[in-house]
Amino acid sequence: MGAKWWMLGISGALLAVAILSLAVNGLVFGIEFQGGTLMTFTGKDGLTVEQMRSALGEVGVPEPGNAPIQKAEDGSFIVRTSEPDPEAAAEEFAAIIDVLGLPAQDTNVTTIGPGWGENVTNAALLALAISLVAILGYVSLRFDYKMSLTAVAALVHDVAIVFGIFSIFGREVTPNTMAALLTILGYSLYDTIVVFHRIRENSQGLMRQTFQSMANDSINQVFARSINTSLTSVIPVACLLAFGGSTLKDFAFALLIGLISSTYSSFGVASPLYVLWKEREPKFAALKKKFDSAASS
Amino acid sequence: MALAAVALLVAVSWWQLLTPPEAAEGETPPTAIALGLDLRGGLSVILTAEPLGNTPVTAEQMSRVETILIERVNGFGVSEATVQRQGAESFLIQLPGVSDPEQALEALGSPGRLEFVDLASITDTATLAALVDLPAREAAGENTTLTAGTYEPFMTGEVITRAVVVTDQFGNPAVSVSMSSEGIKTWAGVTTRLAPLRGQIAIVLDGFVKSAPAVQEPILSGDTQITGTFSIDEARRLAAVLESGALPVDLKVEESRVVGPTLGQESLSQGLFAALVGLGLVGVFMAVYYRGLGVIAWAALAVFGSLFLGVLAILSKSGAFALSLPGIAGTVLTIGMAADSTILILERFKEEIRLGKTYRSAAKSGTGHAIGTSLDANIVTFVSALAIYALAIGPVKGFAFTLMVGIAIGVFVMVFFTRSTMIMIAESVIAKAPALFGVKAGDRDA
Repeated sequence: MGAKWWMLGISGALLAVAILSLAVNGLVFGIEFQGGTLMTFTGKDGLTVEQMRSALGEVGVPEPGNAPIQKAEDGSFIVRTSEPDPEAAAEEFAAIIDVLGLPAQDTNVTTIGPGWGENVTNAALLALAISLVAILGYVSLRFDYKMSLTAVAALVHDVAIVFGIFSIFGREVTPNTMAALLTILGYSLYDTIVVFHRIRENSQGLMRQTFQSMANDSINQVFARSINTSLTSVIPVACLLAFGGSTLKDFAFALLIGLISSTYSSFGVASPLYVLWKEREPKFAALKKKFDSAASS
Repeated sequence: MALAAVALLVAVSWWQLLTPPEAAEGETPPTAIALGLDLRGGLSVILTAEPLGNTPVTAEQMSRVETILIERVNGFGVSEATVQRQGAESFLIQLPGVSDPEQALEALGSPGRLEFVDLASITDTATLAALVDLPAREAAGENTTLTAGTYEPFMTGEVITRAVVVTDQFGNPAVSVSMSSEGIKTWAGVTTRLAPLRGQIAIVLDGFVKSAPAVQEPILSGDTQITGTFSIDEARRLAAVLESGALPVDLKVEESRVVGPTLGQESLSQGLFAALVGLGLVGVFMAVYYRGLGVIAWAALAVFGSLFLGVLAILSKSGAFALSLPGIAGTVLTIGMAADSTILILERFKEEIRLGKTYRSAAKSGTGHAIGTSLDANIVTFVSALAIYALAIGPVKGFAFTLMVGIAIGVFVMVFFTRSTMIMIAESVIAKAPALFGVKAGDRDA
């Protein structure tokens, strides 16, 4: 805890980078949020993004010039277009295979109508707001409101970092990302609650040390288990990122960053903020004064 | 006691997992845990109802639309197709194995307004001319449409009581319709009047002229064939649309996902592989770090996994659950959370022993403290999952659902299995070989 200003400083710097990138680069939203079509093609040797783009134009895909085309490591192509009509999208899919002479393959087309995305976005934001309120309420009830607010500060920190990293890497935000984020809300609290539980237990009848050094001891006592619990979640999620298909990677990427950030933030954000706030209470301020003067005399 | 109950539940889970539902005739047997469309391939669409006029869609219209959609979906001959309400005005329709979205969507969302028009009532001369060589135009792949206001139908599809696929006199698929008594009367009247003149009647579906036969003789039974150039599948869909009747609303496609069967299979095996590797690595980590105590963690994970899969199998059988890709993500995260609870217990146990407690009292107070902490942490995660489940739209719901099931079972296992086991073996096993478990107890019994 002696390093609390360092920790808060690092978090502050990370946050600043995240927010800067969000302001400059913004976020790339998936078709689910804005409507459009997503097609996945099995490629063939030597097929380039340019060839794919000219094929889009040939078969009459709307705005072929603006369609983001991704070539995956396994040679498959992921194409996003602004096509709002699923029947037309299916025809375009078949036509593109024809034009490029791609191997016969399963259809893999998702089309989201315009306007639907707004529903999806609103639903996600509502879920986010309700989760936050419910979490604030529960933690205030079980612990105290200072813990609840500092825990939420750590949460907001984690969410901002995840979005920041998505923005820096230009990764697409999909409903899966949103679900992963909402889960991180709950999960980020896991570590924080483990620490807070211990701080509360140790603060009963606190006389022989300052609040800060007690919090420090508490963190040391639970450090091993927090790292271990994080590891046991990070391991399976990292496996998803390594071996899962594209949908699973979507979840895993957001979850992984969130898990790492939340492990850090329970020590580096929630606890220091809570200590700073608690030491302003007369009882703990007096303790701090007593031990500080004892140390200096 | 608690352990016996847990053992019984594990047995029930395995029994459920090993007895998948029976396969319908001529179909591949289903898996014990039902698979979503993204894993088995198929078409999944969300349709939203929009009013035809200015009045908003009513609840009665919605139930009517639901009935119509179910009839149409069943008419497609796809097994295990489902129609589900989503929110106030939307439907989620899942058609396993359908990989041809164009035709399915056209038939599902088709307004289904069938009209019978006496050519004499058509005022637009260009259309009239076109109708005379309808077969030629059809052969050339051209559609002939009627514009509202330029004709007057003498009868609509409301009179149709039954529609079946038949073959016409040229051996082509056609749809034969039967009519209500009222329809038979009108039909008999019009055909009797037109027969001597060889007058033409246009059969129009949603503005498209399907056929325009010349009446050869009066039709008194009401049985009529609708012919045209369609394939057997198209004829089947047309029959389904005609029999289900006209939609009282417009249906807009909000979301359409097509996943081919091999892609689904690939996603499934990738997901399972990732989950298994994750589980294995967590197991290795527990064994290395906690040594003997790691065995308890393994046992807890095994019990957790059995119960979790068992619950999913039971839910699958009642049709309440199908595993989707996001569901696999939820499952994997759940593995981590279940391991977390065990770690909290083991760490607290070791800590209490370091404080000098006996094995037995460390097991009791350690598990008690750890469960308190873990409950709080699990409850807040559950709350987030519940918020996603209740509010989010689309496939993400599957993620939230598996996560909730996982959290609930994780807590159950922690309270009734891990805790009981720890207390049971504290004296009898751990005390006899403390080095094996990486602990050394004192004698404080408090």
